[in-house]
Amino acid sequence: MEEFNVVLAGVGGQGILLAAEILGTAAVKEGLNVRVSEIHGMAQRGGAVVSTVRIGEKVFAPTVLEGQADVLLGFEPFETLRNLKFASEKTLVIMSEEKIPPTELTAKMMPYPSLKEVEEKIYSFTENLIIVDAPRLAKKAGSTLTQNVVLLGVLAATGKVPIKTESILDALGELIPAKFLDVNVKAFRLGYDFVKKVKS
Amino acid sequence: MPDLRILLADNPGKRVLLLGNEAIARGIIEAGIGVVTTYPGTPASEIGDSISEIAADAGIYMEYSVNEIVAAEVAGGAANSGVRALTAMKHVGLNVASDFVMTLAYTGVRNGLVIVTADDPECYSSQNEQDNRFYALLANLPCLEPSDPQEAKDMTISAVEISEKLELPVLLRTTTRISHARGPVTYGKLTKPVLKGEFVKDVKRLVMVPANSRPKHPVLLRSMEKAKEISETSPYNKITRKGKSGEFGIISSSAAYNYAVEAANLLGLDVSIMKLGMTHPLPEKFIGEFLKGHAKIIVVEELEPYLELHVKAIAKDYAPNIKIYGKIGNSYFPRDGELSTRIVAVGLAKIAGKKLPINFEVIDEKYAEVSRNLPSRPPILCAGCPHRASFYVMKRVAGEKAVYSTDIGCYALGAAPPLRTGDILTCMGSSIGAAQGISKATDAPTFAIIGDSTFFHAGIPGLINAVYNNNKIIVTVLDNLTTAMTGHQPHPGTGVTGMHKQVEKVMIERVAEGCGVKYVKVVNPFNLREAETVLKEALQHSGPSVIVFRAPCALMVIRERRRKGAEVLACRVTDKCTNCMVCIKLLGCPALIFDEEKVGISETLCNACGLCASVCPYNAIECVKMG
Repeated sequence: MEEFNVVLAGVGGQGILLAAEILGTAAVKEGLNVRVSEIHGMAQRGGAVVSTVRIGEKVFAPTVLEGQADVLLGFEPFETLRNLKFASEKTLVIMSEEKIPPTELTAKMMPYPSLKEVEEKIYSFTENLIIVDAPRLAKKAGSTLTQNVVLLGVLAATGKVPIKTESILDALGELIPAKFLDVNVKAFRLGYDFVKKVKS
Repeated sequence: MPDLRILLADNPGKRVLLLGNEAIARGIIEAGIGVVTTYPGTPASEIGDSISEIAADAGIYMEYSVNEIVAAEVAGGAANSGVRALTAMKHVGLNVASDFVMTLAYTGVRNGLVIVTADDPECYSSQNEQDNRFYALLANLPCLEPSDPQEAKDMTISAVEISEKLELPVLLRTTTRISHARGPVTYGKLTKPVLKGEFVKDVKRLVMVPANSRPKHPVLLRSMEKAKEISETSPYNKITRKGKSGEFGIISSSAAYNYAVEAANLLGLDVSIMKLGMTHPLPEKFIGEFLKGHAKIIVVEELEPYLELHVKAIAKDYAPNIKIYGKIGNSYFPRDGELSTRIVAVGLAKIAGKKLPINFEVIDEKYAEVSRNLPSRPPILCAGCPHRASFYVMKRVAGEKAVYSTDIGCYALGAAPPLRTGDILTCMGSSIGAAQGISKATDAPTFAIIGDSTFFHAGIPGLINAVYNNNKIIVTVLDNLTTAMTGHQPHPGTGVTGMHKQVEKVMIERVAEGCGVKYVKVVNPFNLREAETVLKEALQHSGPSVIVFRAPCALMVIRERRRKGAEVLACRVTDKCTNCMVCIKLLGCPALIFDEEKVGISETLCNACGLCASVCPYNAIECVKMG
């Protein structure tokens, strides 16, 4: 493996930075070289947030080059589209159904586009698309706040990421406060099983 | 968020994933620094925040100072009293601290003093993208520039060593992509911090009256000659790759170095690469010899052509005919915004006459297709933010004709539609001064909008000026009881310190009264009727007035509720709603949505402030308990 790039994109408050940190920590646990980029502060106040995780011996910069994402982990449909520049036909797009309408859209009284329309745009870049009802799975796990971890479960189950699932779970245990750990592990499992079920 | 006590582990060789700023915090512990000061500012905040969490366990002193110059002064005082110190700030914070720092270079320090400046190319969360390497040049201070979290830690320790060797403060300059990048960091040994020292009196050295300053200037210049020797042999200045042909040599530093390496790899370029980690003073001989060994030099750096200017000057003596590519005269790389591997690769390809292996134009075209008409998603005031209520009521009372001079903080987001309560914004504290000039020049009702932490930081002299000169402005202090934008740090009004100690609160209204303001009121902005009355009175008042709009940050409230396991509330639209859109058009709250032709409220986003219920003409919104 030369390098492995994940772009995580969504809206401030969705737990994107934590998800990236979990992946990065898991990579370090396996002795891999890793870089994670984050944007804090102003950009987080309900604004668009992008974080990247890059794994590989020859990785220096924390940011991903256009067209070079192995996985685009979209926490929200609009933000998935906004980051398609990182995708190519080789990219796997994992997208949550969680729609968060930007205020601009609401002010113009415009409806949020259907998932079908969003899907078609993604297909113009890549056919590898997994759509996850992360809000439902997170609720099932016990908290809507665990959608980020649901998506990590999905990512782990695809086998695309060069990190063992146990390492991700270890990182989860290290980074999530003890009293929220159970619900997060459950969320991870639900995401994981979702893919395994579809595959089988 | 990991348990930050991981930064205290006495476990040399341990390898952990750290944010650049956390790595600097680890460096502080390894270097035995005893005093850490800061004023929060993105992208520097997590240095102070990490230390604040572990200072008591580490047995060191940490404070959130009232502003950057006080932070630098406190650290400087400690470093002249036998204790190693570090002060951290964002790039524009160094402007505030610069008055002190410029002359601190003359007095010097007895113990290590590190000044961290975190620059923000691309203005991710700043009002400008100034390049603070020029402060090192201006003040005559050594400067170190890490390129990743490991170096951020190591250089913090080296900065202390260099500082003590030269008896000068050392600048540690990061950028957003260093401070906010995570990478593996291998721990070194811990040094037990010295917490108490002695202040040795020495008037000639420390009292900078002209007679003492004059002889200190040449002393400083001589120290910088010594600093140059350190730079010549610094392990941070090195050739990381030797090219075969000797045609091209790249000189780079900081985040730009990472892009340069990856871009050279992408192009398969036969090139030597020099990485500079100590960028002031630069290693003249080391660079000179590198120039001699190559036909063409490419300087890859972010923002200003700082290295390029020096390299060109060095070339005059060492290799006068060498071709140097960069930003001056030939713009192969932009002087504005942050660099990326793509930007550097495009520049390198042009210089070397190579074809890029990735067709970026095709990606751009395809991307333009899918991203057309994509609604933007700028940062906005959170659902339940008390500032929204303050802005709504100000606008309602004073309207479009009033001028709203705003300031640095979350409330700057009020400038966006539909609230539009921000007409001018420059720097920390500028709202109050600028408002006075506007008021004098126009006679328009003029508001200064400033946050609680910003008021303490830089608002008070402006307020005294308004009292002294009887400048009629209305200062609205939007007091959400925290420094919200940078991550909820405490400030003098919160009654909590960086050491998590409870102290007496400094009350903004009492400060205003103490400054001589005759009309001072405190009001909860969600109490719209009272807020309206107070604003009307202030408009009638003949001199300057201060209104403190006080209500806690919505994020703090919701976190506290979650922590306590308290019931969660949200507002709900009832069937009385006529879809008149008044709530959406007036407030622009992200929890208000328009779905399937109907106004609705997002359960997950709503923080139940009830502002939309207050403005609804049909009484069609109510607050309910969730789940």
